[in-house]
Amino acid sequence: MGIGQKGMWADSHYRWSPLGSAILCCGVAIAPLMSADRVLGTEFDFAHNVVPILRKNCVECHGGRRHEGDFSLNTRESLLEGGAVSPGHAADSRLIDLVSSDDKDERMPKDQPPLGADEIKTLREWVDVGAPWDAGFTFAASDYDPPLRPRRPELPAAIEGRDNSVDRILDAYLKEHKVARPTPLGDAAFLRRVYLDIVGLLPTPEQLHAFLSSQDSNKREQVVDSLLGNNQAYAEHWLSFWNDLLRNDYQGTGYIDGGRTQISAWLYKSLLDNKPYDEFARELIAPSPESAGFIRGIKWRGNVNASQKQEVQFAQNVSQVFLGLNMKCASCHDSFIDRWKLSETYGLAAIYADGPLEINRCDKPTGKMAQAAWLFPELGQIDSATPKEQRLKRLAELMTDHENGRFTRTIVNRIWHRLMGRGIVHPVDAMQTPPWSADLLDYLAVHLSDDGYDLKKTIRLIVLSNAYQSESLALGSQPGGDGFVFAGPIAKRMTAEEFTDALWQLTSTGPSKPHKSVADFLTADEKQGQKSYRASLVACDPLMRSLGRPNREQVVSDRPAMLTTLEALDLSNSALLAKTLSRGTPTVLKDFAGGDGASLIDGLYAAALSRVPTESERQVALEIVGTPATEQGVEDLLWVIMMLPEYQIIR
Amino acid sequence: MIFSNQSRLIPPNHSGATRREFLRAMAAAGAAALMAGEPKKLFADSSGVKIEHPIAKADSCILLWMAGGMAAPDTFDPKRYQPFEVGLPVEKVMSTFPAIDTAVDNIKICQGLEQIASVMDRGTLIRSHVLPDLGHILHSRHQYHWHTGYVPPQTVAAPHIGAWMAKVLGPLNPVIPPFINIGQRLEGNGESEELKAFTTGGFFGSEYGPFNLPVAEDAMLAVRPPKGMNAGRFENRYRMFERMVKDSPQTRYASDYQQQSMLRSIDSAHRLLSSKEKAAFDLSLEKKEAAEKYGASDFGRGCLLARRLVESGARYVEVTTEYIPFVHWDTHENGHATAEQMKRDIDRPVAQLILDLEDRGMLDRTLVILASEFSRDMMIEGVPGSTAKDQSRAKTDVLKEPIHYGLHRHFTGSSSVLMFGGGTKRGFLYGETAVERPCLVTKNPISLEDMHATIMHLMGISPKTAFDVERRPFYVTKDGKGQPVMDVIA
Repeated sequence: MGIGQKGMWADSHYRWSPLGSAILCCGVAIAPLMSADRVLGTEFDFAHNVVPILRKNCVECHGGRRHEGDFSLNTRESLLEGGAVSPGHAADSRLIDLVSSDDKDERMPKDQPPLGADEIKTLREWVDVGAPWDAGFTFAASDYDPPLRPRRPELPAAIEGRDNSVDRILDAYLKEHKVARPTPLGDAAFLRRVYLDIVGLLPTPEQLHAFLSSQDSNKREQVVDSLLGNNQAYAEHWLSFWNDLLRNDYQGTGYIDGGRTQISAWLYKSLLDNKPYDEFARELIAPSPESAGFIRGIKWRGNVNASQKQEVQFAQNVSQVFLGLNMKCASCHDSFIDRWKLSETYGLAAIYADGPLEINRCDKPTGKMAQAAWLFPELGQIDSATPKEQRLKRLAELMTDHENGRFTRTIVNRIWHRLMGRGIVHPVDAMQTPPWSADLLDYLAVHLSDDGYDLKKTIRLIVLSNAYQSESLALGSQPGGDGFVFAGPIAKRMTAEEFTDALWQLTSTGPSKPHKSVADFLTADEKQGQKSYRASLVACDPLMRSLGRPNREQVVSDRPAMLTTLEALDLSNSALLAKTLSRGTPTVLKDFAGGDGASLIDGLYAAALSRVPTESERQVALEIVGTPATEQGVEDLLWVIMMLPEYQIIR
Repeated sequence: MIFSNQSRLIPPNHSGATRREFLRAMAAAGAAALMAGEPKKLFADSSGVKIEHPIAKADSCILLWMAGGMAAPDTFDPKRYQPFEVGLPVEKVMSTFPAIDTAVDNIKICQGLEQIASVMDRGTLIRSHVLPDLGHILHSRHQYHWHTGYVPPQTVAAPHIGAWMAKVLGPLNPVIPPFINIGQRLEGNGESEELKAFTTGGFFGSEYGPFNLPVAEDAMLAVRPPKGMNAGRFENRYRMFERMVKDSPQTRYASDYQQQSMLRSIDSAHRLLSSKEKAAFDLSLEKKEAAEKYGASDFGRGCLLARRLVESGARYVEVTTEYIPFVHWDTHENGHATAEQMKRDIDRPVAQLILDLEDRGMLDRTLVILASEFSRDMMIEGVPGSTAKDQSRAKTDVLKEPIHYGLHRHFTGSSSVLMFGGGTKRGFLYGETAVERPCLVTKNPISLEDMHATIMHLMGISPKTAFDVERRPFYVTKDGKGQPVMDVIA
């Protein structure tokens, strides 16, 4: 057995080309450019290997607005239309003939030095593997650059009285794309989803019954408002989202010697108060000691690569978190894949620098000093002569300027992604790529800035739309990048914290103490009457770690969507889960039994799945719990329910 | 083999699945990985040259990790021996153990390693491994560097070398996790957050991450039903789960890719838990006489476990002496006595592991490496001229009591690495260090990049192997620059 042997541990994703490799391609953040419609059968790194050769030798005359000899290689389509390349057959491709020709009059590039043998070899191999091209890539003078300033799209007329602004845009969108409206979501499923999405908890059976039995036509709006009004539950749920994004945690690397500071107290309070997002961002960028941990980054003792100095971390993190930009390429050299330059990364970094900051190219000093500067001078600039504190303040102003549409678009896109399963721009840190609906994105962005940067209002607008209140799609495969057409919500995986909170909720086994640093900042009032604490308020445990609560060494904007084998193994036999289940069983028996196994089962189904079991499910469940119900039986039923896709995949 | 049968949980309309349908279902899992940010393997390096993997000389790799900085002059690179003497100026101390002969004429190592000495004819001893001092010694940071090839912090989560092997080579036996990590507790000791930062699949995701067995003796717990649950109940619980899945009223989602992927993972986990291979995790099944040869130390038990796992088809297994600040090889004081004890812990099991692998005809295809994050010296912290702060806890000019006697400073200028099997030379000595302090490398230095390149080359992985992460290439050896040291390869 050797290479290529497939098995459960390597799952399956690579190397049964052509199909496997076609599906498996994609970086973490800026993937859709690359992933959609990728030519089958290849793993060729077009962007890094082929683009530089074409750019150096060909694009001047056959790219952008120029198409000498009626040949343009702006896109793969134009390349193929020209007939210069026969994918899979370098030997039959005119482009290869032309660049490798010995005839000086015929050889391309015209009147220029010929291509090197290595370059020709690369092009030949590239054609032989099918001339793969990153979807969306073009040499045309950037055909898409996200607008900087906010845009106010005109709302289409409401159809059939569906007057939520999101629906007005999406109903028109669906019509235009000839996509059927997704099926409306039933009350019970709505309640379960909206609870998990807004406060990260399952609705209790009582909450479920009250909701289902209410005849009020406004009941969905009422429940949304009551959830958004539950400041504590809201804060404790969204804390995890923000901790990931701001790479904040109670423990982790760097704390060992003061190379990192927490922002937990500030963050908790800010979420509790629903601090307007512009103010929130300003306090992170130009911080008080309480919120300084974000821009400080993580410092390890000793020498650090130039691209990971604290100043450069600052540039990377600020641009990624608030603008959805990836400046990591441009931290070492001018980016090959987007417009950002090394000097721009360092300009941002210099805002944070305490002294002169020398620009390093690929970890080597260049002798040039960075000048503090901001990425979008159209909105104003930073005076590099002012002290650091003022520079940060100025950056905070520029970032949150009403006219900075990129700032608002980035956050509403993140919220949309959390609620709807996929960003309007996706992945969410690839904000330089086109949205599938610019109107929707722009509308949500101005809705946010017009209405006091109140993120709860954004959430409210989205969850009250018919688009949100639709059944999630059943998808045969992962939706692609470029050609993506919205057709309805996409299911989300329960996060590690949601899973843990639900487990503690169902079994009444939550911890009686929060993490020490949380205990330090919670007020006596906030602790009053707290019987147990949420997963986001305690240190990561091995089960949460296994289920995807990240280390938070880097900014995390999207967690793995799939349960892996090792995770499934932990769910099957980890001592932690087993102990919690057995510890909680007596309470479950007490809470739900009320006499017989059937009522226990109905109670558990209501609590865990927000529905009644079918007759056949009830039969199986009865077999599991035994008659009369035993503790072991209840433990096993709880486990069975929690392992169901219906339980872990939020629909 | 796990995937030779269709998953029991593939929904009813797939029940007569042909291979093609099966592959299609599997493709859904691939798509799932995409959503999770699965990186893309690159076809060519940065100059456009196609990446060609070498032919593998080894199928499995065992890393015996001497955590905490094993002093080469007290183990595999003896210098002038100086016994303890009250009043002796400390700069006189080079080695605190005398040298002994080995099975190879020109190789001498330190007293206390007699068993390893007796199998030296099966191995290659490298004395010229050079690691950067990073300006400050923090063990976990150097360990992060050694295990990933990258110095933290990094802009993306760097994968452990075990994860690279798991990802690029896949499992050797589909039911044995390809990356198994034995002997390191990740909770409760110092620097545990730093250890967690590299004990990870990194951007490859948890599918390729470590299967952690912090205590070898308890390995079986990781593959059997949770405590208090017998096998019958465990199996029954799973059968009931299967029935519930089949009975689910959510038929609309039966072939949804997210659901299928989840069920496949659950099914796979269950198959490991019901496989016969899981017996490999159970040390109590080893014959008493055979087990005793490994000694009673945790590390020894870990070596025995590693042998059993490799026999069952593990791809990469690491066994560590366990990093705990100021404990084990991390000798900030009393170094001589501690090194004596550490050698007692490792000598027999390392030698026995080699003999057992040889007996089973597996040594040729199993690469065994013994390494540490750096060496130690009596006087020098880092390398001469380093800014690293002196961290000895037994600072003195002359030896007064045994606590002063030992190599208490972290020395990065040269370390010893031992390799056995897996295509390496037998009875071979490579590299040389100065006789007098500073004991820098005087011949054939090997950087970490080249060390990793050598290991990966033997495993059949090009050192230029790269994945596209956030649209940037990330290489198995830093910048794809590692060069295998062909001189140590048979």
